Amino acid sequence: MGYVAVKGGTQAIEESIKRLKYERLHKEQVLETGQIEAGMRGLIDQVMSESSLYNEKLAALAIKQAEGNPEEAVFLLRAYRSTLPRKYCSNIIETGEMKVERRISASFKDIPGGQILGATTDYTHRLLDFNLMKETEESVSEWLSNYALENRTIEMLQHASEFVLPKVLDYLRKEGLIPPLENNDAEPDDVTRESLEFPSSRSQRLQILTRGETGAVTSLAYAVIRGYGALHPTVGELRVGNLPIYVGHPNEEGNDEDEYYIGDIKTTEAEMLMPFMAEKEKGKKELEFEIGYGLCFGQNETKAIAMGILDNCLEHPDNSFPSHNEEFVLLHIDSVESTGFISHLKMPHYVTFQSKLDSVRKTKAKAEEQEEVQAYE
Amino acid sequence: MKRKQRTEILIEGSHELAKSLANEIEQKYSVSVLQEPEQGLVMLKVRETSRKSLFYLGEVLVTECKAKVEGKIGIGIVKGDHQDLAYHLAVIDAAFLGDLPETKPWAGILEIEKYYIDQKRKAKNEEILRTKVSFETMDV
Repeated sequence: MGYVAVKGGTQAIEESIKRLKYERLHKEQVLETGQIEAGMRGLIDQVMSESSLYNEKLAALAIKQAEGNPEEAVFLLRAYRSTLPRKYCSNIIETGEMKVERRISASFKDIPGGQILGATTDYTHRLLDFNLMKETEESVSEWLSNYALENRTIEMLQHASEFVLPKVLDYLRKEGLIPPLENNDAEPDDVTRESLEFPSSRSQRLQILTRGETGAVTSLAYAVIRGYGALHPTVGELRVGNLPIYVGHPNEEGNDEDEYYIGDIKTTEAEMLMPFMAEKEKGKKELEFEIGYGLCFGQNETKAIAMGILDNCLEHPDNSFPSHNEEFVLLHIDSVESTGFISHLKMPHYVTFQSKLDSVRKTKAKAEEQEEVQAYE
Repeated sequence: MKRKQRTEILIEGSHELAKSLANEIEQKYSVSVLQEPEQGLVMLKVRETSRKSLFYLGEVLVTECKAKVEGKIGIGIVKGDHQDLAYHLAVIDAAFLGDLPETKPWAGILEIEKYYIDQKRKAKNEEILRTKVSFETMDV
């Protein structure tokens, strides 16, 4: 059954859009995008990651327009992104260059450089802080000056210099616990330019996972750990920090020193360790580690960890588990695709439904006719 | 000073510095804008550390401008929506490409700005290092 065009709803639609605006405005409070940018860091990061577009100001605007609804905000940003020209592709970003703000390992207590907690909710009591309802600009300024004063004191005591934080994986590779690897500089595929086909490439899988809907990625990874998968992951290293971005000159052939620095972006990186028994010579078995990789925009730790879990699942296809099936995972975690499809069920399906209703009526009428014939006989 | 270092200083440092250097060129030379500052995207190519292969992380919004000074075309490109800064960067880039005499003393000015940037980074790192865990083994 195909679709047919109907009309007659124009005025109702116009009034509905006005009503939507009324719902956003009727409390007569103007929410400034600067306030969203300053105070809704988690939501901004989630929306930038899922829309695959890094810009806090645009994310704040999308959140305002969408009244805080992430799926709508992501849709708005994806649509805006499609209107902009892609001017450059960055030079290869090496995550070892991250300016770290937080770095922990759940696998090794004494990692070189130490465990740096940074800003995290991990150790907070999840009790509502009613004092925030009375927060004022004065109280904020006072807290900030006290914090700066504390840090000045420490500065005099510590004289800490630049971080040099070696990666846990490099340490394990040096120890021979993970096999060494050469860089693979094969050009990645881009799912925004060419449609996904199966079997997918590793670059396609990672791109879809990093722009996946946070809840969907997390739920599937959780299912893996609960038994709908064949993994037992541990966080080898989790980092949050800023990655510098460089682009080359469009026409000049130059060395690394001739590239343009354009700024940095905050990201979360998770390197998940997955132990497995490797078959060796003469039937010997040895415990080795594989790595699941997660990287996403912003401070989005649950998503990065979940991405690392799913990355490793998809490296080991197994049709016994949906989480190891690339079609199942990759085709269902995109926010715009999944919410768009579910949402479209609200759109008029009168003809489709009427045809189904006709079938039911006809079947019923036929059954009644047969009953009548049987009764007569 | 090479482009990589100077663009990092001009973007991470005070944007007033880029403005004053570009103004110096504008006062002595004719600057033609070949491309007005406009928004665009840069796709981010990242190396993952599991297989050391490459993938695309997503795109970042940038502002880009192209300006011509003394026959040399400079490019200004910066993350976010910074129209003035993109223009100033393009003028400075063209000045360096043309090896204009005005750029000679700039290395020293940029080094001073770098010092302030480094001090800020150091202070931030010190703040972050306050969250470093100091493990003690407990007697049980």
